[in-house]
Amino acid sequence: MLLVAGLATLAGRAAAQVEDHNYSPAAIQTGLRIYSNQCQLCHGPNGDGVAGVNLARQRFKRAHTDDDIRATISNGVSTAGMPSFRFQPEQLDGLVALIRSGFDTSGAPITLGNPARGRAIYEGKGGCPACHMPKGEGPFNAPSLAEVGSTLQPTAIQRYLLEPTKAMLPLDRPAVILMRDGRTLRGRRVNEDTDSVQLRDQGQTLRSIAKADIKSYELGKTSAMPSIAGKLTPAELADLMAYLLSLKG
Amino acid sequence: MRLAVLRRVFALAAAVLAGAFAVLPAAAQPVARPVTGTRIEKAAGEPANWLTYGGGYDSKRFSTLSQITPANVKNLQSQWVLQDNVVGVWEANPLVVDGVMYVTQRPNDVVALDAKTGRVFWIYHYVASPDAKVCCGANNRGVAILGDTLYMGTLDAHLVALDAKTGQLLWNTAVADVKAAYSITHAPLVVKDKVVVGVGGGEFGIRGFVAAYDAKTGKEAWRFNTIPGPGEPGHETWADDAWEHGGASAWMTGSYDPELNLLYWGIGNPGPDWNPAQRPGDNLYSDCVVAIDPDTGKLKWHYQFTPNDGYDYDSVQVPVLADIPWNGKPTKVMLWANRNGVFYVIDRVTGKFLLGQPFVKVNWMSGFDANGRPIQTPQPEGAATYPGNQGGTNWFPPSYSPRTGLFYFSVWENYATIYRREESKYEEGKTFLGGGFSVLSPAPGSPTPGIGRKSPINTWTNETGSGATVAVDPHTGKRVWTFPQFDVTEAGLLTTASNLVFTGGREGFVYALDAKTGKELWKAQLGGQINMAPVTYSVDGKQYVAVIAGRTLVSFALRD
Repeated sequence: MLLVAGLATLAGRAAAQVEDHNYSPAAIQTGLRIYSNQCQLCHGPNGDGVAGVNLARQRFKRAHTDDDIRATISNGVSTAGMPSFRFQPEQLDGLVALIRSGFDTSGAPITLGNPARGRAIYEGKGGCPACHMPKGEGPFNAPSLAEVGSTLQPTAIQRYLLEPTKAMLPLDRPAVILMRDGRTLRGRRVNEDTDSVQLRDQGQTLRSIAKADIKSYELGKTSAMPSIAGKLTPAELADLMAYLLSLKG
Repeated sequence: MRLAVLRRVFALAAAVLAGAFAVLPAAAQPVARPVTGTRIEKAAGEPANWLTYGGGYDSKRFSTLSQITPANVKNLQSQWVLQDNVVGVWEANPLVVDGVMYVTQRPNDVVALDAKTGRVFWIYHYVASPDAKVCCGANNRGVAILGDTLYMGTLDAHLVALDAKTGQLLWNTAVADVKAAYSITHAPLVVKDKVVVGVGGGEFGIRGFVAAYDAKTGKEAWRFNTIPGPGEPGHETWADDAWEHGGASAWMTGSYDPELNLLYWGIGNPGPDWNPAQRPGDNLYSDCVVAIDPDTGKLKWHYQFTPNDGYDYDSVQVPVLADIPWNGKPTKVMLWANRNGVFYVIDRVTGKFLLGQPFVKVNWMSGFDANGRPIQTPQPEGAATYPGNQGGTNWFPPSYSPRTGLFYFSVWENYATIYRREESKYEEGKTFLGGGFSVLSPAPGSPTPGIGRKSPINTWTNETGSGATVAVDPHTGKRVWTFPQFDVTEAGLLTTASNLVFTGGREGFVYALDAKTGKELWKAQLGGQINMAPVTYSVDGKQYVAVIAGRTLVSFALRD
């Protein structure tokens, strides 16, 4: 049983890799209209309203392919309390487009080039390995991109490349913490509550810091990542995008 | 209709039942005393018990128990834990009657347990219809008691009566049609010989009502439609046939003033939620507090907080009844921190507006006219409205301490929503929302807070809104102190005569604060979100504070 289930999952993943990520702005808008009326109450405005599921970030409990998503919507998940929905094919396409766009309703067109050429740009002209570690090697200054192709949507990746500061999520703001004992800690925030901050420091050590021990705590509003806007030709950007999307862990 | 079934979970249940009242401290707590109407009216006089949802008809959630003090609160220690298989947020409010606690768990179980040890006497398990639909979780917030009978509303909009000693079903009445997405999630309120409940379903195009049932038989005594029908006053505040599916649910418990013989109930948002243009007019009695004659169900007065609401600003908050000096005269008022971000004082005899003061950033209105009607300032399309759709506060019960004269509640700060409005077509049992919304965030696609916490990692951060517990002076509506929290909070409040405030939040901390200053005096980390108001009671002379966090109900008392 387990083996069979495992094979089915692998098959699903393989199929997912052939999705073309080309969803029209019109389809995304159609999806948004249906989503906000029928789905948002449970799944939330950003698709993360159900525990263990994040539609915008492609974290599903059972779906892998676009057809899996269509089937889940059409059949429902009775054990989880999700009803079945009767939608027209173009409505289902719209919901898939909304989900696959990462809920990016701007529907910015993405062009994908050649991943092999993209890798050369990544390592050469792009200068990305100076901070990122695509395969678990290299410096730790920036998030690993080992799974970026499955965790972020093309529009989100492109936004990071072109406007890194605007794309930076609040949790990812670089933290500079001056401790009462005189130490300065720098790193990326991992979690935070009223009393404490959890930090991955520049040496990749996971630290938990009591706010009572903090003298000052600053969160940078500017991403340390330089924008590649104007530095790459459109064709080079398309190649780089294709390479990044191929990184699926 | 599906049959309710009784499930005994412990093999020893029968033996426990037989021996329960002997095992309990019978000498100190006469357990066989039925909970009469007089006892409920004078609930403040027996602080060992917690007899109604709000701890008494005035819903102050103020206890005169004072064994736990600011000086010794640091010695609180967990006495017992009830761990439960609840999936999802546990919003229940326990009742405590002479040493026995009654608490509900999702969707519609009632658990009777020893309030001293946490040992369970019996569990009643109700199977709701699979057609039951709720917008925001299969919640149940508790039971009501009268005599030896418990009353619970169900997810499929039934009202059931149970024998408090055995958990046996006594009667089961259908309150509304589950197929049209009616539901009941709040604790009923017993007034004299009647059990009063309202209905949920405001996101599904219901027509709301509050109704009273004969406590003995379950027969409907009266029904107050929260949307007036043709020919009734207020009907003219709805255009065309919008009234038929205009929402105005009643999904929280009301309060009662026995002296005035008035029942007060908070009414939910109009529907479709986000498209007020589809239902022009004030949309009475959505977003109102209504004062009802509990014997007849007739309306005495109403005050509307948000006319023609386009923001989902349910006014279902629990009405808190207090007698305070107003302009030098002792005055019977109602204190109300509304989801719309404004704190109100209302004369509860006449319904007259006395004060309205925003307690968080508010931009949907700019002030009040001479009659206490808000001057609305709708934001341009695409612009953010403060407070956001979950509100500056929401259903989580507040508290008023006559000792400090302050009103305490949980707020969401710096939280805003951008609305998208469009026509919705009503279909029975389907959501009827009139558009959609997104929470204002600093980066596109950022995680943002919604209903209940979904992850142990706070990926949304305080930049999309943060929580706080606040104390407000009813005479000014201004904050006296603020206790800030990083994540938003859905915890209710409890105050005691020893000037303690108990609350919690989504991060799993339960707090004891100094009621005068807001200073943190004690906290414990319980590991799960707190979406209810702690309650206090005593057994054998020992004061307990019970709180639900995540899937656990914990009862604290001072270390021996």
